[in-house]
Amino acid sequence: MSSHLVVLLTFSALVSAVFAMLLREDTTSRVRFAVTAFGAFVLSAVIVGWIMHPFPS
Amino acid sequence: MATVVTETRRGAAIPACLFAWLLPGAGHLYLRRTAKGLVFLGAIGTLFVLGVAMDARLQMSLGLDDILASLFSLAQMAIGVPYFAARAMGFEAGQVTSVTHEYGNTFTAVGGLLNILVILDAYDTAVGRKP
Repeated sequence: MSSHLVVLLTFSALVSAVFAMLLREDTTSRVRFAVTAFGAFVLSAVIVGWIMHPFPS
Repeated sequence: MATVVTETRRGAAIPACLFAWLLPGAGHLYLRRTAKGLVFLGAIGTLFVLGVAMDARLQMSLGLDDILASLFSLAQMAIGVPYFAARAMGFEAGQVTSVTHEYGNTFTAVGGLLNILVILDAYDTAVGRKP
């Protein structure tokens, strides 16, 4: 698994699922929280990556 | 009667926390919270297995000479038996030249840190603070 995007999506999905089970009690809230957290993980990573892109490695 | 129930739950708190540390989700399975336990087992277990598959370093470093390395080891150890089993099976050193080495380190450490939250959740469930 050497694709950065696949790693990002996998990590985000697994961590979001755990947080949803910890922080919400009913199924609907858990699904909504997991989807929101997953989107926030992916979107923030893309934005931070985009901001860091001009900097030398 | 309420006192008896509370004492019974408090009595379950220690084994629930112990099981939760030994295997992610086992504490919730012990408390008959099957859905939660299976999700924790699947998600945290997958994080750890993928981390090891991505050549994570599992070396134990518990000295005061390198505090960050010690904290990193403690985070990984929080995942319980899978950490020690992986070390026993020879996945201790990882492979620092691997492209995914740092990803693996992150996956295993985050898996352990999430398991600490799961242990605290099992405690809260056992003493009746959470359903």
